[in-house]
Amino acid sequence: MKKLLKTAIPLGFWLAVWQAASWAVGRELLLPGPVRVGERLLALAGTADFWLDLGATLGRVFLGLLWGALAGTVLAFLTHFSPWADRLVSPAIRVVRATPVVSFILLVYLWVARAAIPWVIAGLMVLPVVWGALSAGLGSMDGKLLELARAYRFSRLKTLRLVYLPALRPHLSAGLLTAFGLAWKSGVAAEVICPPARAIGSRIQQAKLGLETADLFAWTLAIVALSLALEGLLRWGLERGDRR
Amino acid sequence: MIKLTDLTLRYGDKLVLDRFSLEIPDRGLTALSGPSGCGKTTLLRVMAGLAKPESGTVSGIDPARTALLFQEDRLLPWRTAAQNITDVLPRSRRGEGPRWLAFAELDGEGEAYPTALSGGMARRLALARCAALGGDLLLLDEPFAGVDRSRTARLLDRLRGLGVPAVLATHQPQVLAACDTIISLDGPPLYRV
Repeated sequence: MKKLLKTAIPLGFWLAVWQAASWAVGRELLLPGPVRVGERLLALAGTADFWLDLGATLGRVFLGLLWGALAGTVLAFLTHFSPWADRLVSPAIRVVRATPVVSFILLVYLWVARAAIPWVIAGLMVLPVVWGALSAGLGSMDGKLLELARAYRFSRLKTLRLVYLPALRPHLSAGLLTAFGLAWKSGVAAEVICPPARAIGSRIQQAKLGLETADLFAWTLAIVALSLALEGLLRWGLERGDRR
Repeated sequence: MIKLTDLTLRYGDKLVLDRFSLEIPDRGLTALSGPSGCGKTTLLRVMAGLAKPESGTVSGIDPARTALLFQEDRLLPWRTAAQNITDVLPRSRRGEGPRWLAFAELDGEGEAYPTALSGGMARRLALARCAALGGDLLLLDEPFAGVDRSRTARLLDRLRGLGVPAVLATHQPQVLAACDTIISLDGPPLYRV
């Protein structure tokens, strides 16, 4: 009960602030109130299109997360063990990390099919984060355990499985949690700028063009709720894995 | 006989072995004794093939057939006590976990993680893991640090019962007394031409 109140009171407070601001502005076109947005969200959630759009965006974000995380992991090992790969690849990854996502979206728009842009962009945002987290982890590996693996004649695969991966797990977990938020935001941003046929971003774009501000808020609310729920799920899964 | 001949080794600018030669029996328990930092650990590491001397030769042992107990326990913190032992065993010997836990008097602690073990228990586990790995020669660096006297005596008996020659770097009078050969060292650097 106490826990519920701790969540409900701040939520109620901010909903009240939102409603008061909406009344103060007095124009639904500029700032619809939470009740109106809630009504629109419920109405949208009653349609099959809402769930299909949601699923399509989710699929792209996860695809981006997957390829970005895999590429980031492979490159982290490569740049850690090969000085030449480090000299060649690390600066490029740092450039990717520093480049604004909008620049990437517009560039990638020229090179790949529209439907692929969101997951390509999401992966590009994930890759440097996972690479950075794992590179830091590899840099701080316990040399004494690695020497033990050598002295006790562990094969490379066994050293990877028993020494590297468990030691890197906290770094990978932290990197994935940060990367997930980025994948979600950049993926939806790419959908808004280069709208595919079926996507949350496309619906946001339509709502903006049609000046349907309540719909814009409703879709944004859906994204936030889904992102928080999935991040919580990911955190739970990673913590559960860390405890084992 | 294990022969170390004319070994020279430095750590940075520090000369640790200066044309050092030594013969070590390849049977029974041999103790290397000497003050802290005199080079005992370095000698064990050279015999295990982990430290490469600038010059000199080591004969009478195959480093790939030695098992080194490091000065620190170096247990894998994310593996249980039993897994720490079975991880070093080939697939065909995985069932030996309980035997080696019993060797270290850690029966019932197989599911415990190293962080839950006391210092002495962790040391015994590391010793059991080294003994389980086995080979032609055990190289044991302070094997009984933090282990009580009565357990040390029992572990020494079990160690002898394995029938594998062992070289022990130690300060403990109780351990020195139980060894067949005692080699006193004085350094650094160690030199004996």
